[in-house]
Amino acid sequence: MPQVLSTKEANLFRQVIRDYEEKRYRAGLKAAEQILKRNPKHGDTMSMKALIMNAQGKTEEAFNLAKEALKVDFKSHICWHVYGILYRTNKNFEEAIKAYKFALKLEPESQQIQRDLAILQVQTRDYEGYVQSRFAMLKARPQLRQNWTALAIAHHLEGNLQEAERILTTYEKSVSAVPAKTDFENSEALLYKNSIIAEQGETERALEHLEQECKKCLDRLAVMELRARYLAKLGRKEEAETAYRALIDRNPDHTDYYKRLVEVLDLTADDEAAQKAIFDEYSAKYPRSDAARRLPLDFLTGDEFRSAAKAYLTLMFNKGVPSTFANLKHLYSDSYKKETLPSLAEEYLQEVKNSNAEASSDSSKGEGAALFFLAQHYNYYMSRDLAKALEYVEKAIQLDPKSVDFQMTKARIYKHQGDIAKAAEAMDQARLLDTKDRYINTKAAKYQLRNNENEKALNTLGLFTRAETVGGPLADLIDMQAMWFLTEDGEAWQRRGNVALALKRYHTVFNIFDIWQEDQFDFHSFSLRKGQIRAYMDMIRWEDKLREHPFYFRAALDAVNLYLSMYDKPEGLNGANGNNANGDDAAEKKKAAKKAKKEAQKAEKEAAERAAKQNPNKAQKDKEEEVKKKDDDPNGVKLAETKDPLGDAMKFLEPLLQFSPKNIEGQIAGFEVYIRRKKYLLAAKCLKAAQVLDKDHPKVQELAATMQKTIGDVLESLPPKVQEVLKAEFA
Amino acid sequence: MAEPQPPTIHEGATDDIETTTKPPASAEDRKAAAALSNLDSSSADNNDSAQVDKAAATNALNSVSEKKALVEVPAKSKVKVDAGDVALLVAELEVTKARATELLKQHDGDAVKTIRAFLQPAF
Repeated sequence: MPQVLSTKEANLFRQVIRDYEEKRYRAGLKAAEQILKRNPKHGDTMSMKALIMNAQGKTEEAFNLAKEALKVDFKSHICWHVYGILYRTNKNFEEAIKAYKFALKLEPESQQIQRDLAILQVQTRDYEGYVQSRFAMLKARPQLRQNWTALAIAHHLEGNLQEAERILTTYEKSVSAVPAKTDFENSEALLYKNSIIAEQGETERALEHLEQECKKCLDRLAVMELRARYLAKLGRKEEAETAYRALIDRNPDHTDYYKRLVEVLDLTADDEAAQKAIFDEYSAKYPRSDAARRLPLDFLTGDEFRSAAKAYLTLMFNKGVPSTFANLKHLYSDSYKKETLPSLAEEYLQEVKNSNAEASSDSSKGEGAALFFLAQHYNYYMSRDLAKALEYVEKAIQLDPKSVDFQMTKARIYKHQGDIAKAAEAMDQARLLDTKDRYINTKAAKYQLRNNENEKALNTLGLFTRAETVGGPLADLIDMQAMWFLTEDGEAWQRRGNVALALKRYHTVFNIFDIWQEDQFDFHSFSLRKGQIRAYMDMIRWEDKLREHPFYFRAALDAVNLYLSMYDKPEGLNGANGNNANGDDAAEKKKAAKKAKKEAQKAEKEAAERAAKQNPNKAQKDKEEEVKKKDDDPNGVKLAETKDPLGDAMKFLEPLLQFSPKNIEGQIAGFEVYIRRKKYLLAAKCLKAAQVLDKDHPKVQELAATMQKTIGDVLESLPPKVQEVLKAEFA
Repeated sequence: MAEPQPPTIHEGATDDIETTTKPPASAEDRKAAAALSNLDSSSADNNDSAQVDKAAATNALNSVSEKKALVEVPAKSKVKVDAGDVALLVAELEVTKARATELLKQHDGDAVKTIRAFLQPAF
């Protein structure tokens, strides 16, 4: 049982807490030990010591000590709170919530424990619990507006929109003073309430609320946009028209406004002339607006399209807009437009020649722009003719040998020809034309990776990473979450047969998504304090579907497929296995991997030395922190040694199937994993999804055959109910 | 990243020490002790603290809105779910126990029907 501390030691204990808060860990530890010398069984001090140790990276010892502390003083809310914090920092949220709840039972008045609990509940999407916590916090301090707003958010997230609105209204009614015009929190809360009303489907009331309450809201654009949207939805077309016209006047390049305007004007889709008239009106009014000129090309057809496109192309070529092709390629799904655009570019070239005007000094304008357009046209997958593409790009380069854009397109053409080595070389030449351009630098590195030149690519990128980062360019790229690089690097290592490094990269991408998920932690309180509720709600909803991001999909699919090949060819588990490695090959690849590892280590060492030289004091100081951050498996060797590749693949696969169910590649990979894991029902689920997505996909038919055969082989051994389902589904 | 919050301290650590000198006599104390002994066991077995939470939850819910509590009671259907079916779903479909129970309830406890519905693509 704990002893009562003397006044002196109680003061010392407060000092420990302050030291911890201000991250003076060493001083804190010292003070804590001083107390423990006299009172070796003082639970609170032991807990604080554990907390400091955890912050220093000694997780295991911290947990043991915190457990000890609980044993000597299990009625202390401090001990339970610390125990919860330890769990939280180690991402065991479920246990952390339990510990917090216990701490709160012992000390129901503690704002801090309550807040920690609430944040954890919303982080884990325990909305029911969050509503309770927020209610308790509101009861404790009802005078704070953010507590009311927070409770409304909790109800909103839980799906109880009426209650959310009621809470906000209750607060509004309780305030007698008129909020200042510049009260940002008030302005945002009003708009937030408006969004809740609209979400309930009550557009009429939302409009009314918007016009009465939100007139003076500081986010004027949001008010205007919402108003226009509500009016359009309610069918009040004339007012909606005025509203959208006002928005276009604010921003004549916002394509969405034009679309909505056309909608509320009730123009029939085939009345091209009437639609065109609107855009003409605006292109006359705002000569610098691109949207007003570009958008009509979407709906115009025939000669109308031809003349509009000609005017547009001429303007773009004369101006020398490099993105002209990228801006027009969306039209290529229409075969007439696909034919017309290049012929217009040819016409333009002819005219330039005939006019015999003196050559422009800027090669990106006029002739050069048209040649560039045509080269991209013949390089594009829907209109590919690589010989012609090369011809045009050579002409363009002749015109200006120093243009990065032209050289870059040439490299792309080589890539599409299938000559990756030549493409990488050409891209690097393009890079040398402008070594200060990060875009072309990145591009060159990517092409080097495609050519399996991992080390060279890292050097290229190293020209733009922070020189002082410990660990060199790679560490900086990981810090900066350069996922494109990690994925491409992993794929290149995989092609080179280095399973370990490939897995390492894919896991790093996976972890970056984890970090993104964790990053919301701070915003649960920060956004409330700042009153930015609408942005906060957007963020929460975005976080909920974070892993549907294509970057996640690609890296995760790579990882799953790699694990599958590891399972199928377990002999290569020692870190050097390609898809079809025979003995010699494997040995060679092993050697290559070793060499790469050595080089990486050397580079790391050099970078560290360089950093130390640049800032000797700092390096010393960082060392302490570095120990904590050190990756115990920098080259993924441990990952590659896995005994259960299919189990490891599940971590990647589950979010893949959950968040990108409509991607057939994911379903196929899912089938392959589940069938090997003998989870026949789950394999069937993937197969059925794939069949719905694309019945004629060659791989899908193969999978169906595999399924039939497997069922035939194992059916008898399965539980009767599973048998019944499989028979019914695949009879 | 968020730094962990330090615990609250009210006027030194003396407050709670008074109470803890007594032997664990109250029900609350026993619960605390039980939770303590459960620290290392898997979370699923931690029934004691789950019950504590539940009691607190019902209390708070009632005070938030009595209307809501009334609505939720009939929502919980009385469909009987076979434990063997739950285990089957957990094993074969890799869902949690709670989710398996929920799915079975949605299909009147019929495992075959439940699984077949589960296999259908959700799009």
